[in-house]
Amino acid sequence: MGQGKHFLQIVDITKSFGSGDTKQEVLRGISFSVEKGEFCVLLGPSGSGKSTLLNIIGGIDSADSGSISIHGDNLKELGEKRLTQYRRRHLGYVFQQYNLIPNLNVRENIEVGAYLSDAPLDTDELLHTLELYEHRHKLPNQLSGGQQQRVSIGRAIVKNPDILLCDEPTGALDYTTSKEILKLIEEINRKYQNTVIMVTHNEAIQNMADHVIRLRDGRVRLDERNTRRISADALEW
Amino acid sequence: MRWNGEEYGGMKGKIKNPLTKRLPRELVGDWRKYLVVCLFLVLTIGFVSGMYVANESMLSAANSGVEKYKLEDGHFELAEKADPELLEAIATGEKADVKSYYLKTAKAELDDAFEGEFNAEFTEEFDAEFSKHFEESFEEQVKESLLSQGLDEASAIGMLPSAIAQAKESGAYQDAFDAAYSDAFSSAYDEAYKKAYDEAWSKILAEIDEKYADAEEKYKLNDADFRPVPVSLYENFYRNEEEDHDHDGVTDGSVRVYLKTDDVNLACLMDGRFPEGDDEIAIDRMHADNVGLKVGDAITVGNKEWKVVGLLAYVNYATLHEKSTDVMFDALKFNVAMTTKEGFDSLQTPIHYGYAWQYQNSPEDETEEKQLADNFLAAVLTQTVTAENELTDFLPTYANPAVYFAVDDMGGDMAMGGVLLDILIVIIAFIFAVTISNTIMRESRTIGTLRASGYTRGELIRHYLSMPVIVTLFSEALGNLLGYTVFKDVVVSMYYNSYSLPVYETLWNPSAFVKTTLIPLILMFAVNFIVVARKLRYTPLAFLRQDLKKGGRKRAIRLPRWNFFRRFRMRIIFQNAPNYLILFFGVFFVTVLLAMAVGMPDTLDYYKENASDMMFADYQYILNSCEEEDGNVIETSNDSAERFAMTSLIRKSDAINEEVSVYGIEDGSSYVPIDGLSSLRENEVYISDSFRDKYDVSVGDTILLDEKYESKQYQFKVAGFYDRSLSIAVFMPIGQFRSVFGVAQDAFSGYLSDSEITDLEESSIATVITEREITKMCDQLDHSMGAYMRYFQVLCILLSAVMIYLLTKIIVEKNENAISMTKVLGYENSEIARLYLLSTTMVFLVCNTVSVFLGTLVMSAAWRAIMSSYSGWFAFMITPAGYATMFLFVLIGYLVVLFFDFRRVKRIPLNLALKNAD
Repeated sequence: MGQGKHFLQIVDITKSFGSGDTKQEVLRGISFSVEKGEFCVLLGPSGSGKSTLLNIIGGIDSADSGSISIHGDNLKELGEKRLTQYRRRHLGYVFQQYNLIPNLNVRENIEVGAYLSDAPLDTDELLHTLELYEHRHKLPNQLSGGQQQRVSIGRAIVKNPDILLCDEPTGALDYTTSKEILKLIEEINRKYQNTVIMVTHNEAIQNMADHVIRLRDGRVRLDERNTRRISADALEW
Repeated sequence: MRWNGEEYGGMKGKIKNPLTKRLPRELVGDWRKYLVVCLFLVLTIGFVSGMYVANESMLSAANSGVEKYKLEDGHFELAEKADPELLEAIATGEKADVKSYYLKTAKAELDDAFEGEFNAEFTEEFDAEFSKHFEESFEEQVKESLLSQGLDEASAIGMLPSAIAQAKESGAYQDAFDAAYSDAFSSAYDEAYKKAYDEAWSKILAEIDEKYADAEEKYKLNDADFRPVPVSLYENFYRNEEEDHDHDGVTDGSVRVYLKTDDVNLACLMDGRFPEGDDEIAIDRMHADNVGLKVGDAITVGNKEWKVVGLLAYVNYATLHEKSTDVMFDALKFNVAMTTKEGFDSLQTPIHYGYAWQYQNSPEDETEEKQLADNFLAAVLTQTVTAENELTDFLPTYANPAVYFAVDDMGGDMAMGGVLLDILIVIIAFIFAVTISNTIMRESRTIGTLRASGYTRGELIRHYLSMPVIVTLFSEALGNLLGYTVFKDVVVSMYYNSYSLPVYETLWNPSAFVKTTLIPLILMFAVNFIVVARKLRYTPLAFLRQDLKKGGRKRAIRLPRWNFFRRFRMRIIFQNAPNYLILFFGVFFVTVLLAMAVGMPDTLDYYKENASDMMFADYQYILNSCEEEDGNVIETSNDSAERFAMTSLIRKSDAINEEVSVYGIEDGSSYVPIDGLSSLRENEVYISDSFRDKYDVSVGDTILLDEKYESKQYQFKVAGFYDRSLSIAVFMPIGQFRSVFGVAQDAFSGYLSDSEITDLEESSIATVITEREITKMCDQLDHSMGAYMRYFQVLCILLSAVMIYLLTKIIVEKNENAISMTKVLGYENSEIARLYLLSTTMVFLVCNTVSVFLGTLVMSAAWRAIMSSYSGWFAFMITPAGYATMFLFVLIGYLVVLFFDFRRVKRIPLNLALKNAD
């Protein structure tokens, strides 16, 4: 990809669903930029369009208008095959549901991500980082929700993506486990310098982010850099 | 862009796709299903592979045997033994000059008979005429003499009678008569003889022209395409003898005894040795197996006891067809055998003067072979006619079922086995596809995550296709291994049980590889590829949202106000409609097979039990001639005997040239009581029900029948049907028969009788048609296939159980969440079974009922198609009990599966629905 002014540049993105009377505008001219290695949080209430925006950034949904460029390369110009390659090479996804493969163990589920990369991270090292090394031979149904989410993060990060997209990664977890996951993402962001874009409705998480984007009714209501970032460990909600 | 794995301690080299590790776990996790599928595929592929290997190996042995055992290109039979001149003439393949023969024969006959006949006729006429003229002339002379003596006219006339009387008395009259007669006769005779001879010859020439015109048409004498067909001819004489192999004094069947020869139609020695002594005989191996004879046993042939010294497989009797028109071979009651010359001479029945031919220039293909045979037939016919012999049989090898039936049947078996394998593979492929489709639905979110992470559609398609391909490849490898070892021997023993084939060597078979390895793999791949690729066509987002329904969410179908359970069940049926559709096809396929397994024995039983009803007479004695050598008509004192006339014509078609028996029946016949037969118009006939059924003939239709060896066609209009004849037959009044076929007004072919006629000379009987003609085919089919049909029935039950197991498993698995939820709601297992399993049971019962009838229809149509390519006819029969059996067999399979399904439903955990809840 070519070199642009910002690592990730989003310009005037619109997106609507349905047509005629049932047409619903979800994104109404979203513009912002994200820098390399930044921990960016997309905040907003349900229906604000944050997950839709994340999907568009992730190349699994398309905008009606506007552009998204990474290092100056416009996603809109990529066909389906190149979009897949874009996701394969540059993106890691973490969802609220863990979506693990039930008959693969922890290590193998992580290797599912590693397979996509020509130069993946060392799986054992990652397992240690994820604190899953002891559980590496277990199947997903033998793990707690938090452990499963760790595996899904491991699967996303093992290919060492440029951007880690997290869609409500703690949405299905309790307070303690959520904090552990957030600490993990923070550690990964710090250790591997991946750009992290996280969708959440948890207001507290903005405190650990470098960059906060607040959406409401499909528009950016707030776009600010957090100068007083605190560690995930210190978060309270 | 940063993308340097080394920077972060990246692993060296690409790792293997971890998704492949799912496959062995899936196999272990669902081992029952895969075991069933594997067993199913292994057995099917193994059997078809065995069939291909066995068939190809045996066919190869049979084909190489053509040269090795000097198979004829055809044979013909003459009424009398041919002299060397005739054989030499036939061997040239040239047509005889029929016209010269007619002329020569006519000239000789004329010369032989003309003079005598002419003399008698001329002398009588001349004498009468001369006497009359001489009387008048002599009177005139006497009168002139009296006048010259000076008498006047009146006196001379008055004295004339006395003068004539005096001349007669003195001898002067006679002297004058003699002198005048001699001169007159001599000159008149010469003149009249020449004239009469010329007239007679002209008349004969006109007759010959007419006769030759007929012959031209009959023997295609002016066929511009005719080319001489030089052949090598070999004597292949035989006798048809009676055989008694259990020594109870009752004839068990007939045996065709050949002389041992090294020239043509040799036999492969399967056991023992060839005969050397005059009481030694070698018999057909298959017949021996079928009736329990072995080398060293004694056998009575033609009232003489023989020692069986060898078991043979004659190259021209791969199947024991007694006649070329037999629908089925008869290895139980027909045998072929070989003796020494001394042994052959010791037999009593008339020798059949059979001659085998081999073309000097072998035909390139079947078309050329037919052309050569047609040309050679013309040569044989004309040469035999001109040699004053008679052609009684002519059979090119391509039309000889004893040679081609086994090869065709094995080819047909291979084709049928191949088609069955294809159908089974497609069904298994669909079962796989539906299973994978359900897995994809279940793993939708995971797939969405993988796609979002960068897995390509191709990678996922390959992943989901791996299992069916691996299972197929494994089954193919094991199936082929068994095919080349166990199943090959099973098939070989099946064929040796029916066909008299030479020894074979197992050959590597590329077509078996294609049929049992490549094609199943392609089918499995193609079906699953289409389904999986279609299922994976959605966007990653659609997978993540589990939004995989085309056209959005379906609306619920409005149902009547039934009770809850009933409505619930209907919903289940609608929801699982695609799976039930596959269930229907599976059950339908099994019922088609069952229709054969049940219908075949039913059909044979029906024909065996009703054989006597299908014979219009218990005995049909066909005579060599209706007259004895002294010209007396052959009579019988049997009161039940009734004369009839019969000939064989051919109904030509692209598929087969069918031999049709044409009967001439006496008025008021007690054996063929057809109302209105005697009032038929000139070209109207009745036909047998078999004829009607096989060729779909209606009243008023015209049928065209051809002479067997001559180019002459007959056209008949169908006036009605006669139902007491199993053969392809035509019936007409005997008078009409004689007129149509130009035979003498008192000619007939033999006697119909319900009791055995004992006062006919054996030598005058050409053949006797009895109930055996019908039952032998049924007996043979029953012997060859009856046991297999019972195995096949059991196999069909297993097949139905396997198929239903796989399909209902899919249905239960697909509804696991819902079943779990109903358990959470407090439903008991029996109630859940009433909802889910009863729905499937209801659908199954409908599928089974419909399939039983549809399967029978399909089998009936297939049977019709198969029988159309063979001579003769018997329709596919299935009794009401047969329908019930078919239904019951599939039901047994289902009930077994139902037990397992109920256990499966019971084992679905309550927390499944909660675990999988969003």
